[in-house]
Amino acid sequence: MKLVEFTTKFEKMGIVPVFFHAIRVDMPVRAVFRRLGYHKGRTEISKAQLAEVEAAFQDAVPLIELKGSAVLVSVKEQDEGHIVLATGEFLQSASLARMLYGSSEVLFMGATAGNVIMEEIGRESKQGRLSRAVVLDAVASEMTDKALDWITGHMGRELRRQGKGVTRSRFSAGYGDFALENQKIMYELLQLQNIGVKITDSCILIPEKSVTAIAGVRIGEFKQ
Amino acid sequence: MNKKDEILKKASSRLVILDGATGTTLQTCGMPGGVCPEIWCLQNPESIKAAHREYLQAGAEVIYTCTFGANRFKLFEYGECNVGGVNRDLALIARQAAGDSFLVAGDIGPTGRFIEPFGDVGFEEAVDAFKEQVRGLLDGGVDLFVIETMVDIQEARAALIAVRELTDVFTMVTMTFEPTGRTLNGTDPLSALITLQAMGADAVGCNCSTGPEEMIPLIRAIAPYAKVPLVAKPNAGLPVLENGKTVFPMSPEEFSGFAGEFMASGVRFLGGCCGTTPAHIRMLREKTAGLALGENAAAISGAVSSARKTVLLRTDGPLLVIGERINPTGKKDLQAELLEGRMSLVKRFAHEQTKSGADLLDVNVGMPGIDETETLKQVVKVLSVSTDLPLCIDSSIPEAIEGALRIYPGRALINSISGEEHKLGRLLEIAARYGAMFVLLPLMGKKLPKTSPERQRIIEDIYAQATGYGFTKDDFVVDALTMAVSAEGGAALETLATTRWCASEFGARTVMGLSNVSFGLPERKWINVSFLAMASASGLTLAIANPMSEEFMHIKRASDVLMNRDPEARAYIAHAAGLSESKAVPGGTSENRAAHGLSPMERIHQAILDGSRGEIAELIDRALTAGISAQKIIDEGMIAAIREVGIRYEKKTYFLPQLIAGAEAMQKGFEHLEPQLKRDNSYPAKKGKIILATVQGDIHDIGKNIVSLMMKNDGFEVIDLGKDVPNEEILRSALVHKPDIIGLSALMTTTMVRMKDVIADVREAGLACPFLAGGAVVTRAYADSIGAHYAKDGVEAVKIAQALIRQEEG
Repeated sequence: MKLVEFTTKFEKMGIVPVFFHAIRVDMPVRAVFRRLGYHKGRTEISKAQLAEVEAAFQDAVPLIELKGSAVLVSVKEQDEGHIVLATGEFLQSASLARMLYGSSEVLFMGATAGNVIMEEIGRESKQGRLSRAVVLDAVASEMTDKALDWITGHMGRELRRQGKGVTRSRFSAGYGDFALENQKIMYELLQLQNIGVKITDSCILIPEKSVTAIAGVRIGEFKQ
Repeated sequence: MNKKDEILKKASSRLVILDGATGTTLQTCGMPGGVCPEIWCLQNPESIKAAHREYLQAGAEVIYTCTFGANRFKLFEYGECNVGGVNRDLALIARQAAGDSFLVAGDIGPTGRFIEPFGDVGFEEAVDAFKEQVRGLLDGGVDLFVIETMVDIQEARAALIAVRELTDVFTMVTMTFEPTGRTLNGTDPLSALITLQAMGADAVGCNCSTGPEEMIPLIRAIAPYAKVPLVAKPNAGLPVLENGKTVFPMSPEEFSGFAGEFMASGVRFLGGCCGTTPAHIRMLREKTAGLALGENAAAISGAVSSARKTVLLRTDGPLLVIGERINPTGKKDLQAELLEGRMSLVKRFAHEQTKSGADLLDVNVGMPGIDETETLKQVVKVLSVSTDLPLCIDSSIPEAIEGALRIYPGRALINSISGEEHKLGRLLEIAARYGAMFVLLPLMGKKLPKTSPERQRIIEDIYAQATGYGFTKDDFVVDALTMAVSAEGGAALETLATTRWCASEFGARTVMGLSNVSFGLPERKWINVSFLAMASASGLTLAIANPMSEEFMHIKRASDVLMNRDPEARAYIAHAAGLSESKAVPGGTSENRAAHGLSPMERIHQAILDGSRGEIAELIDRALTAGISAQKIIDEGMIAAIREVGIRYEKKTYFLPQLIAGAEAMQKGFEHLEPQLKRDNSYPAKKGKIILATVQGDIHDIGKNIVSLMMKNDGFEVIDLGKDVPNEEILRSALVHKPDIIGLSALMTTTMVRMKDVIADVREAGLACPFLAGGAVVTRAYADSIGAHYAKDGVEAVKIAQALIRQEEG
């Protein structure tokens, strides 16, 4: 696994992200249970087992240090199969182009749960406490996703004053026909190195619980 | 009478009407989307002037300058660098519209960035940026300032400090709260009020984000704690999307219908935010004319806050605990960390103390060889985001205290201010500037006051000086001075007498560092907790102690009950219930185990179903003692149970943590039986050998670890190569171990493709073993395409492995 060096080419173009060093979200308890395979009305859990899972939830929270960044980039050109950013980047994806239809700008977002929780998950796995590790892992995943909601909310509020809003849906590299390789462009636009995130040559973000996403910005659209 | 007093006088006798939305009003006046509103207003001065006039004609007494986004961060985005000039000119336009009969508020909005420690903008950079804006607005002749729509308490503080360092004009601060009742950054309305009013905001409140209906409960919640007038500027309801446009749906009638409730809740400044129009303000004016203001009861005082939590220092509530562990004295590891600038122990101590029940955290970094001012600031920044508990800034260096208070996004407690001549005035001035509470330490001159009357005199002297800085008895807590009883027999009695005097006669809260009392004695904890009980009975408000001491916390909770500080013993009972529950949880014992009545084998079976890792070994020992063979325990007890766990997981009556807990209990049981199995010569033959690896370039391994655990439990020999494993290493291992199966895992599309290469390498080396592929992005079709078997999870992986082994044997 090789790490990729980041460049400052976008910064030189005046594309500077906003950084969030302490994102605060409430734990999405239902989503965590769902991720762990809990089926309401079907899964039966004893009081002691539930207490154990919930204790792991609580232990996870202070270990998750949510950080993020966001940046807006104007759309230069778009058609059915691709988007060209004002920076010149070519994003090939019909699904993405569909989602961004009518967007004057693209909102790039990134978030990470940080290293501390990943170290704890690794430690717990090694010491044979895998059941606790999977709970910590699920909490970290869901809270990192929730951090993206938080960023969308913040950016939406900022844009509302200009009569603009963020599209309800968002897209990530590696989904559908939007290749994971686009992660490198997003990494550089978002300057994720500034929030402690690294990227490998296979486009994996480290720490593991790190995510990026794209949303569109349209006049009049908002996300509550 | 100056303008500030005029405004205060107005607000004390009647409701002051503020204007409505500027942004949405300008959009209806033709301001196109995507432009900078401030620059557009400068280019279209008549439009903004007309908007101001319409609000004034509608009945607003205060108009906000159109400078919400006129800070360097936002203006620079549009290529405008003359921040002062833009602010001045827009203030002048507002003044022209208002004349001398109405008030012009210099509007300061958020920068759109987050300020340290919540974001990347330095605190001083933010203060400087706001000062640019404040200077311009002052040049334009504003009468007051309004810092509004803040989501970050630190940004609100930076803006307020910027105003206060340049002028004393009337300043309102309003924050914007989500429907959850907190700002996007997590600040609750009470913490915002406690922090901002202590720092010198003249009025505090809420604006934007919600409609009036959702805002009234927020106002009601803070009103009992408000020493300053309250402000409300709600939106015209929650926005909805109509024909692709954002619309605020509330009509002027509906909007103004809430005015009476706002007034009754203590609001003295009322206007509108997004979606409100002059018609809304007119109706507001009409509906409130003649309505009486609600009574403003005396504020409940004495509180400290963090960015996300307020702790009320109630004298009738439970004794509060200030966690003392973040202090390098006697802690070599912490000393080393602080010297190296690392913070992991600081965070750990904060977390542990929070979990143990601390209400505040004391922060002391004093030790030889350290830059205390800089280190304290860094520690405070880290703790500001890693704990919700308010901080107690503990230092003897005024510069260090000031540095920490300036950056702290809440109302801290200073530990401490004594009567030392060269420090007293300086520290009182710092405390006043940043709105901190302080610990009053009754020391003055070189002689230590030994008796309670001596201490009382000093307390009164220091208090007299503190009143000169605006402090009241609600703004400090008295440290009654705890001395060692080993050195002076009656020392504890003097401390208790001082505490009693503060509580019953002087009327101030008290704090103690309890452990000093036992210095020099053996078994100190018993002296400490006895002293705690006595101090609690004497009216102590806060104790500085180690909340991780179980004895201390138990006695504290018991004392709270006995002193009627824990009504109906609710907290005590809840804690006791939690204790008995937690004893039943970690590592678990089988619950509802109608355990009695079950045979030893049934109990082992049940323990695995329940994932009771804590009791499995003991249950196995009992079964062995009862004469059941190790072989039978495994075959008929454990294997049957783990299969049942798998079935339940497949039926979804179990979810993942239950599946794994069962597997862990099984593994623990097996490890416990291993020596016996070897002695009996009945160690079960391995079913087969499997190599597991997460492919090169991929670091995700939790799924692979689950498969590994499940395979081991099913009797497979597992060679787990870990994650990010190069193809060559998998091949080398395959050549050495000659596995029956090779299992490969990948979570990303970019790494999944390596599976194909691994299979090709292994085949080329002449090995024919089957492959099993899995991971989030791997599909059955992909596995087929590379000639591998596919398993969606650990349970299926085991089944397929069993089938493959059977095939091999058959």
